[in-house]
Amino acid sequence: MPLDPRRVPGPEESQPPLLYAAPGQAAAADEAEAEAGALRPLLARAGLLSQAEGSAYVELAGGTKVLCAVRGPREAAEGRGRLLCDFRRAPFCARGARPRPGPAAAARERELGLALQEALAPAVRLARYPRARLELTALLLQDGGAGLAAALCAAALALADAGVEMFDLVVGCGLCRAPGPAAAWRLQPSAAQERAAAARLTVALLPGLGQVAGLLGSGQGGPPESWAQAVRLGVEGCQRLYPLLRRSLLRAAERRAGLPRGLPPPERDPPDRPPPPEGPARPPPPDRP
Amino acid sequence: EDLRVDGRGCEDYRCIEVETDVVSNTSGSARVKLGHTDILVGVKAEMGTPKLENPNEGYLEFFVDCSANATPEFEGRGGEELGTEIVNTLYRIFSTENTIDVKSLCINPREHCWILYVDVLLLECGGNLFDAISIAVKAALFNTRIPKVRVLEDEEGSKEIELSDDPYDCIRLNVDNVPCIITLSKIGCRHVVDATLQEEACSLASLLLAVTNRGFLTCMKKMGNGSLDPESIFEMMETGKRVGKTLHTSLQKILDKEESLGTTRQKVGFLG
Repeated sequence: MPLDPRRVPGPEESQPPLLYAAPGQAAAADEAEAEAGALRPLLARAGLLSQAEGSAYVELAGGTKVLCAVRGPREAAEGRGRLLCDFRRAPFCARGARPRPGPAAAARERELGLALQEALAPAVRLARYPRARLELTALLLQDGGAGLAAALCAAALALADAGVEMFDLVVGCGLCRAPGPAAAWRLQPSAAQERAAAARLTVALLPGLGQVAGLLGSGQGGPPESWAQAVRLGVEGCQRLYPLLRRSLLRAAERRAGLPRGLPPPERDPPDRPPPPEGPARPPPPDRP
Repeated sequence: EDLRVDGRGCEDYRCIEVETDVVSNTSGSARVKLGHTDILVGVKAEMGTPKLENPNEGYLEFFVDCSANATPEFEGRGGEELGTEIVNTLYRIFSTENTIDVKSLCINPREHCWILYVDVLLLECGGNLFDAISIAVKAALFNTRIPKVRVLEDEEGSKEIELSDDPYDCIRLNVDNVPCIITLSKIGCRHVVDATLQEEACSLASLLLAVTNRGFLTCMKKMGNGSLDPESIFEMMETGKRVGKTLHTSLQKILDKEESLGTTRQKVGFLG
């Protein structure tokens, strides 16, 4: 490209300053050491976009924000009903460098879109929509850890909000495991924990049926027993999140139907804190090194 | 009753043929024939600049080509989706630390490193692609010979690359920690290893596991449109660990045997 003398050419390549920070500096402020089985408060709201048949917004305390919209059923040429999922990350969603648009980023987004579709496929009754196409777009606005899990919850809520026939809601839960031989799995890690983790796992569950709809994990998780324990923990976490999602759907239906006179509409749904797990006392959290 | 259509048991593989060093212009290559599935992998090592986030390491890049010879569905751009899925799975597996010693691929920190371009060609598609591809990638990386290179700097600052004169003086990669993919397909109430095309069409869901030679899992992915019971998942993981360990021992035996035969080995090639 010929040099334009009137414009100041910026650098051809740019890097984020955090790349040159010493490892100790980049650490975030001390987070409250939550117990391994605790779930972060979740805000879920269905029915916010006017232009989409169904929509949902899920926010996890700690910064993960996902917005999901469903369009359809639209007429399609093929004989079978299809669910097309698109997972997009906003360019500013992660803490690191702005990702350069390129084949690597697109491939990763397609992988997550495929994971979303494979997790939602067992729940949606596609047989009831022959020759139709359901388009689902999930947009990750801010990544504070467990992004795919939040996107799964938002996608299921959006499909339910659109009135698509489903067998059950899909609930997603993220887990990660810190490096070290005896580290335990934690539910819904924060972004810093996810970056430092040795292994990550996302579990999608159909809580009413008790079936696992999706599973995506990688890393040095150890022997199958450790992964099995992680899946059990994820399933339990999903069961605890299920009532919150159902409540948000009921609220959306009430809002749509119009509330009875005399009751002021709630200005903002307060974030629901998931119920603590019942059962025998859990072991105390491990000491910090 | 543990009996499948072709007479195998639920945990039996079809006959696997592995051959390395089939293409001479590459740094390493391997060909795997698993029943009707035929995969050819070529590895080329080239010098490049390390990534900014990891200045002391080299890296691997994967490319998959679903050729139209494999099945008629791959004509034109039909195979792109499958190719992307395979590439993403391979990246996911190799991004785990300690799979390959990427620090040994570094020549000068921040300036020069080896980039290994791994190209996978699907020659024929007969079911169970992921397993065959992972075996072929492991064999090709075992076979890779990277020449030893020194980068010298003059007084003026210009760099000179010095290649050693001996063609047999090269770095070999340690593939002990490279996992193999085991795909377990759920058919009815049992799960099977190494599904053929017909068995894949019948299965509702499958679980893809990456198992190392010590029986550790490094990647777990559920594929397909059905859902799985948590108990079946635990059973599948145990089966995957068992099958994975035996697969690793037999693969290592074959690779060591080929290595020990050296240049006296009879090359079967593509017509055998």
